[in-house]
Amino acid sequence: MALVEIRRLTKQFRKGDEVITPLQEVNLDIEAGDFVSLMGASGSGKSTLLNAVAGIDRPTSGEIVINGSDITKLSRGSLADWRAANIGYIFQMHNLIPVLTAYENVELPLLLLPMSAMERQKRVEIALDAVNLRDRANHYPRQLSGGQEQRVGIARAIVANPTIIVGDEPTGDLDADTTEQILELVQRLNSELGMTLLLVTHDPKVAALAPRQLRLEKGKLIEKGREVALVGGDFQERSD
Amino acid sequence: MFKFAPYVLKSLWRHRSRTMLTVSGSAVALFVFCFVGSVQRGLSRLTEDQEALRTLIVFQENRFCPTSSKLPEDYVRTAAKLPGVKDVVPIKVFTNNCRASLDVVVFNGMPPEQLRSSRNLKLLSGSWGEFDSRTDAAVVGAAVAQRRQLKVGQRFTIGEVTVSIVGIFRSSVPAEDNYIYTHLDFLQRARGQSSVGTVTQLEVHLHDSADPDQVAAAIDAQFRNGPIATSTRSKGVFQRDTLSDLAELIGFAHWLGYACVGLVLALVATTTVMAVQDRIKEHAVLQTLGLRPGRIFRLVLAESVLQSTAGGLLGIGAGLGLLAWGGFAVGAEGVTISFNPSLDLAVSGALVSAIVGVLAGILPGWQAARTEIVTALRYG
Repeated sequence: MALVEIRRLTKQFRKGDEVITPLQEVNLDIEAGDFVSLMGASGSGKSTLLNAVAGIDRPTSGEIVINGSDITKLSRGSLADWRAANIGYIFQMHNLIPVLTAYENVELPLLLLPMSAMERQKRVEIALDAVNLRDRANHYPRQLSGGQEQRVGIARAIVANPTIIVGDEPTGDLDADTTEQILELVQRLNSELGMTLLLVTHDPKVAALAPRQLRLEKGKLIEKGREVALVGGDFQERSD
Repeated sequence: MFKFAPYVLKSLWRHRSRTMLTVSGSAVALFVFCFVGSVQRGLSRLTEDQEALRTLIVFQENRFCPTSSKLPEDYVRTAAKLPGVKDVVPIKVFTNNCRASLDVVVFNGMPPEQLRSSRNLKLLSGSWGEFDSRTDAAVVGAAVAQRRQLKVGQRFTIGEVTVSIVGIFRSSVPAEDNYIYTHLDFLQRARGQSSVGTVTQLEVHLHDSADPDQVAAAIDAQFRNGPIATSTRSKGVFQRDTLSDLAELIGFAHWLGYACVGLVLALVATTTVMAVQDRIKEHAVLQTLGLRPGRIFRLVLAESVLQSTAGGLLGIGAGLGLLAWGGFAVGAEGVTISFNPSLDLAVSGALVSAIVGVLAGILPGWQAARTEIVTALRYG
């Protein structure tokens, strides 16, 4: 059984009189330890898929089973609890809480989990060490560079040791040098720590780093030039 | 929830000017609320006190200002013989101002032994011995002493009355802290010989079994055909009637108290709504990290309650401090209402500010909790 199982996932929404369907009967399996990149044109639905996997957007129909739980059936509150325990989200714009220090930002997800203050401190220090920012622990976001802010964002995403880390254009707001550093860090999360990653990007160079590369086109998921389709309960690659 | 206290406090501190202004507004409103509350409580104490309901005041019929009521002093003996009457105290009242005033000075002349038996006065300085031995001696209520900066050993003059201050007292009845007690015969002679043999009013203390209304009717019936007809009411009713004009104003002023509460509600709600609208994206991020909508709601509520309560406590503290320090009172026709600080006023003020904080936070908290995460992350 795959860590993430997406079955016949459809998302529709209305824009005026028009019904838009960014995701149509999408199927996808992601195994534990996979590093998957997801590309697509603007409006192709890649962020919609990522947000559905992260449990912050509800699909119109279909199932998303992660680690045995169908998250489409969870209530709003239960889904929040589930996110706290299972999802590490790396935002494009870092989205750190401006009034909290780097340390407090990283600690935030742990405040929702049952653990002692000492255990929290240990985990935050490990996460800040992993992104090489221990010496900036007491700095506020405004005192950090864009790259440092994103590293704090990554530390916040990994600190609770989530089931899966999702990233929405995590290098989209960074310069070339900083992008390199962040990508190196993201690769290490997968290769050294064995974390499962799903990254959305529009940058082919970023996507190329992932061993598994997917594209969303016209609501369909394409892998290696073929649609990822489910036939009789098994995955098959269907020629375009 | 306390794990998020740093976040709540830092969020308030982030917009400190806005927070301070809200806290100040709340403080001013609760300050006024305290003042209005203390006046109302002062009036209630005068009119609803059980002791005041079981003590009768005999006044000259159809007279209002103390200077116009002149009862023969020998009415004391007649009244004392009526059934149900335990004791009758003759009182001569002199006041510097019969109209409503914030600085009314009221002299009550009473026989010294009856003064001590009928009033629960505790001397803060001076001595009763000196009061007994000097005919022009006066003991001064703590509130008047504070307001007029009076001390033991000083002489004090109002109009034609000059007394030597031999004691400062505090009474178990706060309104009495605004009185000056002298010997009855001194006050009767202080303004010439015309008042000798007359008193302003009689204070009638009843036995526990006596019916106040029946005794009052009996007293008035007794004197109906005498040289001066009387009007007898319980002390509470007498004080309420005497202060009826003021009571109307005070009754109206309680709307001012409600207006203050409404003001705080609007102020804190506005600030909290602004704070929530500023942080739509931040609340979406918090939800993405796993905060339940209910927790977001409580965080917003905590901000609102903190601002309202902090301001409230400041206002209550300042209000009660000023009330304690100022010895304020309003009086008319020789009866005064004292503005006193009290624990129940502090508690009710704190509760009001906390409840207002909760009410002010409900709508913005609900708004924050209902944030659509994806939309807020994209457009927030």
